[in-house]
Amino acid sequence: MNYDVIIIGSGVTGAGIARELSKYKLKIAVLDKASELPSGASRANSSMIHGGFDDKPGTVKAKFCVPGNKLWHKLKDELDVHLNECGSYVCAFNDKETKHLEELLEQGKANGAPGLEIISGVKLREKEPNVSSEIVAALWSPEAAIINNFEAVNALIESAKINGAELFLETSATGLLFDEKNNIRGVATNKGDFIAPVVINAGGVHAQEIAEWAGDTSFKIIPTKGEYFLLDRTTQGFIHSFLFSCPSKAGKGVTVLQTAEGNLMSGPTATEQEDPEDRSTTPEGLAEVLKGARRLVPDFPIRLNITTFAGVRANTESGDFEIGALKNPRGFVNVAGIKSPGFTSSPAIAEYVAELLKEELADRIKLIPNEKFIPERKNIPRFLYLDMEKRKELAKNDPAYAQIVCRCETVTEGQVLEAIRRGARTISAVKMMTRAGTGRCQGGFCCPRVAEILSRELNIPLDEITRHGGNSKLLVGKTKEFLLEKGAE
Amino acid sequence: MSNNKNIATPDGRQDVLIIGAGPAGVAAGIGAKKEGAENVVVLERDWDLGGILQQCIHPGFGLRTFREELTGPEYMHRFIKEAHEVGVEFRTNTMVFQIDKENNTVWTMNKERGIKCLNPKSIVLTMGCRERPLGAIRIPGTRPSGIYTAGTAQRFVNMEGYMPGKRAVILGSGDIGLIMARRMIWEGAEVEGVYEVMSWPGGLRRNIAQCLDDYGIPFHLKTTVTKIHGADRLEGVTVAEVDDKMTPIKGTERFIECDTLLLAIGLIPENELSRMAGIEIHPVTGGPVVNDLLQTSNPAVFAAGNVVIVYDLVDNVSDEGLIAGANAAKFAAGKISTDIKKIPVKGGQNVRLFSPQLITGEKDTIIYMRVTHPIEGACKVTAEPGLYTQRLRYARPGEMNEARIKASAVKANPNLKEIIVDVQPI
Repeated sequence: MNYDVIIIGSGVTGAGIARELSKYKLKIAVLDKASELPSGASRANSSMIHGGFDDKPGTVKAKFCVPGNKLWHKLKDELDVHLNECGSYVCAFNDKETKHLEELLEQGKANGAPGLEIISGVKLREKEPNVSSEIVAALWSPEAAIINNFEAVNALIESAKINGAELFLETSATGLLFDEKNNIRGVATNKGDFIAPVVINAGGVHAQEIAEWAGDTSFKIIPTKGEYFLLDRTTQGFIHSFLFSCPSKAGKGVTVLQTAEGNLMSGPTATEQEDPEDRSTTPEGLAEVLKGARRLVPDFPIRLNITTFAGVRANTESGDFEIGALKNPRGFVNVAGIKSPGFTSSPAIAEYVAELLKEELADRIKLIPNEKFIPERKNIPRFLYLDMEKRKELAKNDPAYAQIVCRCETVTEGQVLEAIRRGARTISAVKMMTRAGTGRCQGGFCCPRVAEILSRELNIPLDEITRHGGNSKLLVGKTKEFLLEKGAE
Repeated sequence: MSNNKNIATPDGRQDVLIIGAGPAGVAAGIGAKKEGAENVVVLERDWDLGGILQQCIHPGFGLRTFREELTGPEYMHRFIKEAHEVGVEFRTNTMVFQIDKENNTVWTMNKERGIKCLNPKSIVLTMGCRERPLGAIRIPGTRPSGIYTAGTAQRFVNMEGYMPGKRAVILGSGDIGLIMARRMIWEGAEVEGVYEVMSWPGGLRRNIAQCLDDYGIPFHLKTTVTKIHGADRLEGVTVAEVDDKMTPIKGTERFIECDTLLLAIGLIPENELSRMAGIEIHPVTGGPVVNDLLQTSNPAVFAAGNVVIVYDLVDNVSDEGLIAGANAAKFAAGKISTDIKKIPVKGGQNVRLFSPQLITGEKDTIIYMRVTHPIEGACKVTAEPGLYTQRLRYARPGEMNEARIKASAVKANPNLKEIIVDVQPI
């Protein structure tokens, strides 16, 4: 299989680059080891589009954060994704922290972040009545926003696919291929060799290992776990925006936010660990989040919790993004260490990568504009948010839109079928593309129904359906067969 | 149950529109018709009638009502048959997804008919309840497949004919969990044990005996799951004993290998629609605040069964359904005055939750309640002032108690300001 460029990893970084490169006449392959997207750090994070005041001027992060923020405000329409343009507050509890807010304000100005303003605690509580009465001041960032990260990653990769890119799921890179001059020739995977003169490493927590295949040992990824609580959507409006604690040496600390879909959420912790795949929550981590949440929002309604989760971010030893083309071997580009503000920065990083290919790898890849590029991509209809006339029309044209599958989030069978048409193969894929199973019963009602639809549409037995690929089958066989097997033992 | 008629009537104004054809809804239909309502329609989102009882194929239903042990489907069949005989209309595959609080407009969807709205004269909410998910109790660990609420597993086994796993741990001792422990054994799986964080069982003693003891399934009180293991499929759980504050006790942790964790950690009334309709929800029961006519804070809307308060026995659910249906019919006929005096009920000693919360004294009524702590010895249920006293051999949170209130006793006391229900030792 011959391509112009192979992207390893289809998180927000890889998918974003794929979409950007699909603006050119290129044959693009995107590889991801997961069965559904997003799967890594892009799946489990704060879903924050940062205002751009947090990064030291001169860092790579600072370079991409504000431009990335601006791009998302545009992309949300092009890609039809939920972006809650609610702004954010950094909360100060004393004079020392208020002083720190001033530093952040100056830093933000230097980074080009617009509209930053320090407001009093009183003014903050007028906007957010449920925050702590002990907060004395807050840094308001009007351009900060909260995105539906599931939708965003799927929208980016769908848009790339509309424009010709090919996505290969359950395709795990196992090594790099080199030509006779020891330059990049492609990627070896569990599904065979993929050939291309340029390989982009967007491997997230695995980026260090992939870079080492190319002989690059210039950076070190430190997998860092962040744990979260997600609350029932009846908490909508308890907080309207995104609340940060004042950052300390330990990081940005625990935040409280209302997700793009209206759930109250809190997290993350920042625990360094060896294992890049350990996404388990811990008693200590969850206790820390709850403490942090209650500091900002004393009546944080934890009894309405519907799930806990953890994501693993690709921190780097340098603390900064690691982006660049290797001199040797030629054809290898790192886009690594993309952690906070990674989601925010990703569209700006993608544009930069396109420029990088033009400037530094012109001998290996030609970026000729694709005049047929279609920027727009339509989301799967979101029944919950449609007005009644639109709902009637959908149901009239396709009866599957008159059948509820997920009652918590009011997701119809029509949406599930459309997700399957767009490539969903697992319960989690349907969940991330439609939100079926993200509500208060966490799939208790819809999981068997989604499984039945997947089984019927894909023509595979019900007991072959998985939660999230691999060995995550929902069922272990038919009851009678199971008993017979048991008898035979 | 194939005797499901589905007569389409013109979408005029129904006298009584009932949402959900489980035991409460079917009984409400019968109650409304018997009270004389002309046009009584029950909407059901599933393709068949009966609600959750369709998948409850074990015996044990209807001991009070029919003095027989019926399976869930058999129990429902008797009510559905009667409902058809008295002329209740059922519309299956019809989901209510919105109720507008301004005018009680009910929005329905159905694959053949699309999206339609109805404007009934009265509504009965009979949506039942749902199971609490894992997230509600915040157990740390991974999130693999193989974790199901007991009811979801029951659907897979009894309705679809598939096994959720080979070796199960059951967390929580609600009745469905106990029933599923036995079902898993019957289907050839292993059940390592049932773990309950409280120091008393959540379900009925009868089910502990018949589903656990008879099959030698260990039952551990004051013990809970503290960690989930496994990336793709569940590989095991850690359990630990808890102290009186329900905090896991260090040193008591034990790893159990299993591929399935079934949850029976409580049921919550399903009230999305009630909230949309602007109906007052009780913070403790999780169901609508109702008076003894089973009327909610919206006078045209009645509610019955597990959507109001989670019952132990389906017989109670059917009883309440009949009452709500009859009163909804009366309301539709203009026979219920909107300014009836309502006396509030208060939970006194050792009463965690109760329903109804308001008493009109228009009819004899039963206040259903659950105790906070078990009393293993002689005790009594009382409704003060002097409305009811009943001696009991014991009182347990897993088994509801009742206070029977005579309308005549309420009417005889015109100065009655409140009714206090207590369960206390004697």
